Amino acid sequence: MVKGYSINDDTIIINRQLTSLDFFVKDFLDILKKHTDYLIVSGFVSIATGRTRGTEDVDLLFPIIPKENFGILFEDLKMNKFWCYQGDSIEEIYPYIKNLQNIRFARAQEVFPNMELIPIDKNRKTKYFEFTHPQKIKIQDFELKIPPIEFEILYKELILGGKKDLSDAKHLRTFFSGYIKEEKFKEYKPIILLER
Amino acid sequence: MKEIDYVELFAGKIREDNSLFQQQKALIEAQIKGSSSLFRNMFNKNFKAQAREYLKGIDLL
Repeated sequence: MVKGYSINDDTIIINRQLTSLDFFVKDFLDILKKHTDYLIVSGFVSIATGRTRGTEDVDLLFPIIPKENFGILFEDLKMNKFWCYQGDSIEEIYPYIKNLQNIRFARAQEVFPNMELIPIDKNRKTKYFEFTHPQKIKIQDFELKIPPIEFEILYKELILGGKKDLSDAKHLRTFFSGYIKEEKFKEYKPIILLER
Repeated sequence: MKEIDYVELFAGKIREDNSLFQQQKALIEAQIKGSSSLFRNMFNKNFKAQAREYLKGIDLL
């Protein structure tokens, strides 16, 4: 019997096949990574590690980048058949980024799933901390960056707190019971509470 | 059994036996296929314009 995950150096390997949702995220990240850094957070972290529930959006933190750079990313996404809910031109979209408002992208002729891009800067201390402390996970040849598992659990328990979030946290606590470290919870708690 | 208990039970089992990922994959594939088919049929004239109207209606835009 093969276990659900294994560890290889500093990477968590999830022992499963890729799904259509993974391919959606992978295709999007393959474009985005050419232009900026990122961190995948929230529901997809739980789903990627085996939580069995549906989802419509995949949340992604990224640092605010200059309009010119964002424009190149935006054109690259359009060229690769992604569309943005908020508009079709950089003039429509960039004000959202500048004002730290989220924007969403889906594949052409699709509505869900969508990638929800959450712009961050250093003033968003909690988000900036997780962004700068990524954990690598790998599913087959798909490698991506997520928050530390303990951080993700506590964020769901202390900040989000909805039924779905608490179930996600329970999933992560149980699935990674042999991996998570109590001292990490103590380290992350005050940082997470800054978001309250 | 409460839902949260089921989540814990399943997470414990999938941690020990990766064959259970197949159930999860089936659910994800069904959801994506169903959503794709639904919205392509709903917005078959001007997809983006119709989709944006719909998204405004559900407060996603």
